[in-house]
Amino acid sequence: MVVPEHVSERRLSIPNNAITGILLAIPGYFAGVWLGTLFGLNDDQNTGVILGYVFATVAFLAGVGFLNYPLERLFGWRVSPLTDPDENRGVGRFFRLSLDHKVIGLQYLVTILIMLLFGGIGAMMIRTSLLVPDSSITPSGNYISLIGLHSVMMIFITSAVIVGPFGNYLVPLMIGARRMAFPRLEALSFWVVPPAAVILAAATFWGGFPTGWTGYPPLSEQASQAMDSYIVGFALIAVALVTSAINMLATIIGLRAPGMTWTRLPIFVWGIFTTSILGLLAAPVLAAALFMLTLDRTTQTSFFLASNGGSNYLWENLFWFFGHPEVYIFILPAFGIIMEIVPHFARKPLWGYRTGVVGLFGVMLLSFFVWQHHLFVSGIAPVLRPFYMLSTELISIPTGIIFLVTLGTLWRARVWFTVPMLFCMGFLFNFLIGGVSGVYLSDVPTDVTLHGSYFSMAHFHYTIMGGEIFALMAAAYYWLPKMTGKMLSPTIGRIHFWWMFIAFNSTFFPLFIVGLLNMPRRVSSYDPALVGLNRWVTVSAYFLFGSMVLFAANLIYSWFFVARPALANPWHARSLEWQVPTPVPARNFERVPLVVAGPYDYGIPNARPVADLGGMVGATGGG
Amino acid sequence: MAVRTRAYEADAAAEAALDTRLVGIGTWLALAADIFFFAAWWFAFFYLRALNNNQAWKAQGVGPPSKGYGAVVLVLALATAVAYFLGSRPASGTFLFRLLTPVALVLGLATCLFQGYELWHLGFGLTDGGYPSVFAGLSSAWVIQFGLATAWLASIVTQAGPAGDTIARRRPASSFAWILLFLAATGIVNYFLLYFVA
Repeated sequence: MVVPEHVSERRLSIPNNAITGILLAIPGYFAGVWLGTLFGLNDDQNTGVILGYVFATVAFLAGVGFLNYPLERLFGWRVSPLTDPDENRGVGRFFRLSLDHKVIGLQYLVTILIMLLFGGIGAMMIRTSLLVPDSSITPSGNYISLIGLHSVMMIFITSAVIVGPFGNYLVPLMIGARRMAFPRLEALSFWVVPPAAVILAAATFWGGFPTGWTGYPPLSEQASQAMDSYIVGFALIAVALVTSAINMLATIIGLRAPGMTWTRLPIFVWGIFTTSILGLLAAPVLAAALFMLTLDRTTQTSFFLASNGGSNYLWENLFWFFGHPEVYIFILPAFGIIMEIVPHFARKPLWGYRTGVVGLFGVMLLSFFVWQHHLFVSGIAPVLRPFYMLSTELISIPTGIIFLVTLGTLWRARVWFTVPMLFCMGFLFNFLIGGVSGVYLSDVPTDVTLHGSYFSMAHFHYTIMGGEIFALMAAAYYWLPKMTGKMLSPTIGRIHFWWMFIAFNSTFFPLFIVGLLNMPRRVSSYDPALVGLNRWVTVSAYFLFGSMVLFAANLIYSWFFVARPALANPWHARSLEWQVPTPVPARNFERVPLVVAGPYDYGIPNARPVADLGGMVGATGGG
Repeated sequence: MAVRTRAYEADAAAEAALDTRLVGIGTWLALAADIFFFAAWWFAFFYLRALNNNQAWKAQGVGPPSKGYGAVVLVLALATAVAYFLGSRPASGTFLFRLLTPVALVLGLATCLFQGYELWHLGFGLTDGGYPSVFAGLSSAWVIQFGLATAWLASIVTQAGPAGDTIARRRPASSFAWILLFLAATGIVNYFLLYFVA
């Protein structure tokens, strides 16, 4: 960028970091509450609480440093250049506004793991309540609040758990770029996540919200101020989704290295690409719906109040127009991870690369045409049911294609059963069960019977935890050596996999059975005849939580106690991110890489190295 | 591709071309997101109007505010967008840019003020049914976005001095015209729906 001379060198002099952000957020909250109380149209405090959260978030972002750039522009001062990564070393960079995509990826990773801990503790509390068939451990009202907090926290996490850490860290490396297209937007997509989590957790001070993650009116209109936490927290996640999507898409479209044609793009990048399209187009609809809900709660409009010209179906339509693509926002990057990792350890080219890309796009497109299957039991017009049933069933075709591509790659391969590969196998097993049970739920008669039961709950946990979280673990064991410079212990990793795989299936498979036996979800009391199965599930869930603790222990043990340095390319992989040194240099590549071959040309005689890197590390040939 | 290669080699001209390209891509992506945002409001409009639950889409005596006043807001928004569009074209000289962008800023501020005044004096209560809800919500969402765009426009004006960022990055700055044109176009759709179709 051309930096003109003779411009004001004035700068905002506040030290920008997370501490300043927190210190500013506290008075920001009270200022918002005061203003809301002063000008609010009602006396129920909703305006004050919402403005408090908004002001606190803006103040936090200002403290971190996000207002510097717009204010410098507005005051006519010299605009700060994008931070030079070379000047941004040390642990402190993780607590500041960094524009380095690698720092942002690691910030995301740690934040998401902390949030996962809290979401997991919520799950353990839910399962503990279900040790007895009545509400003696957790009263009904508290139980539904617990469900709401657990579910929304997990939705926040799973929206970003792959794109945040791995998408941000790896996409520029995989496409041969030195940076993201919009580093400030990228950083913003991260820094709104911690306030979203804190604001959501603040709902506990108001007694929790009773709606679960779907926020259906009229319950959400009547709920206490805890519902305001849901609104503002979710709105911040919508902001994160849109900003992240714009940045990712612009980066992939505009910053690919020479020779990185669309047909050489790593399949993981395609997964991020399709996910970003979903986030870009679906999240704004959620933002609009949340704005309507805010107006209903603060100014007494009646978007969702049927007695006054509104309709609760309006919310259900808008929410699920976002909500169903949202579940593919979870799973498309997971598909990308599996299709990315499998060829490296099968030592074979990805079978049907273009077909796999078509599968990703097929899932992405169809996901916009299925949302009303969530309304089958809400009383939608019966004439609409067949279309949405068929469109939902159709999604199994591109999903099946993705499975076919993965299995075709494994066919007759001499597989290296490393820890990441084990998790890929676990993903295939779990997601198959989750996917097939989803086909049953897309069928109207079955859905009408099972929708409110634990069958539905088991289905989506098989897809999200059995799918996305297993893919997350595969990605962690595969890419963390590159991201952190330390190898994770493979022995603990294998124990972790088998422990998690067995505990996961032991937890969630019986829930299909209790669902078929009509145990309703979101209710703390159930038929005493089901107490045995429920106790089995609860004990299994404790073991499942234990497996996650083991993962955390592996991270701590491998990073701080053993600290075995990772090689630049410990898996002998071909893709571009493995061709740079470990730790990754501040500017990724010394000079522009010239990509000359695809990333999956394993076992091909005389395969060319993937790129000419100017003698940096040297690209691996076909292995 | 050559542009990207040279940009990587720290060629200033190529870097500027890349900057322009990325800002252009980002602008169109942001507009795609915004289309879906406003589509949600338009869906709400048609959905609630068609349902007319409890015969309460519009209560007795509730109707659109003054069409003339709404037209003034719309014309101001269009003028803002057109003024900036004409001033920011690459073919326009720096003089024209420096002349028209402050004009656009004044028009943008006037748009926000007029729309804000209308929202404060609607002539019906927000609790008077579905139509008042949609009117207030859609107009508020639109004017908030227009206000933010005007704030960005202000930063473009303050950076339009001889050594400002705007002049150094004229071509990326021209992409912003599409945001204003989009908001003006959205204003036309909103006006048609809220004042005539309702």
